[in-house]
Amino acid sequence: MRGMTATPESTTVERPDTDQAVLPEVPWLTLVWDDPVNLMSYVTFVFTDYFHYPRSKAQRLMMQVHTEGKAVVSSGSREEMERDVQAMHGYGLWATMQKADA
Amino acid sequence: MSHFKSRRKGRVYVEIPPYAAGLIANLVRQLVELLSDGEARGVSSADPLEAMLELDGPRETPEDPALRRLFPEAHRDDPEAAAEFRRFTERSLREGKVADARVVLDSIGDIEDVGDGPDLEFELDRDQARAWMRCLTDLRLTLAERLGVTTDDEEFWASLPEDDERVPVHEIYGWLGYLLESLVDAADH
Repeated sequence: MRGMTATPESTTVERPDTDQAVLPEVPWLTLVWDDPVNLMSYVTFVFTDYFHYPRSKAQRLMMQVHTEGKAVVSSGSREEMERDVQAMHGYGLWATMQKADA
Repeated sequence: MSHFKSRRKGRVYVEIPPYAAGLIANLVRQLVELLSDGEARGVSSADPLEAMLELDGPRETPEDPALRRLFPEAHRDDPEAAAEFRRFTERSLREGKVADARVVLDSIGDIEDVGDGPDLEFELDRDQARAWMRCLTDLRLTLAERLGVTTDDEEFWASLPEDDERVPVHEIYGWLGYLLESLVDAADH
């Protein structure tokens, strides 16, 4: 769902990645946790600004953080989630990552 | 009165009284100091290439609770993974926060000695507005950690006697929240 970045579709034949073909990649999740400091408006803003989520989705995730204590805000490869967690820390949000099946 | 107003293309017009700008600058300088203190923590690894490329950062969780909040553990149940994450991210996160602080200080300018002069007026572009938001957030997180702010604790703060030394700090904390709210509102248009 990270994929709003405009990577041009390649028409060249990709080399099959045997490792990936055999082992289904276990996805990772980025979680944002509730804290007593961050403003609801700011958290919503961060979700629209960084993830480019539509406002309705950003607001729903923010409310989930607020009422349930945490929300999964993105999923993908470990490297992608490291990037997202680092970005959330840059915004001052309390974020962690974990395997999807954990 | 709102200090921030929307302009075209995500730009934000700012108008703040000099005493408010002076207070922000003072807090931001303290934040930079805190971040620099954090930097003094030793880097762990002995890999000379990483050290040379400055890719390496500390693995240990900071002792200062405010720094712990600014650079939280990325893995809750895996200390080893959290340490590795910290090692490769904390340095650039810290640099980003210092850079945000510099943006705020630069836009305010040198106002060490302002008295009752006219309001400061300036415009922030899209990126500068975000730097301001992140920096105001870092200030709020730091003050909240020092004060021990918790969820739904307004009654506690209201009940403190006026001469309690935490009262003015908590008022500043609330004021920074108001500033951030107003800035997010202006930038979001």
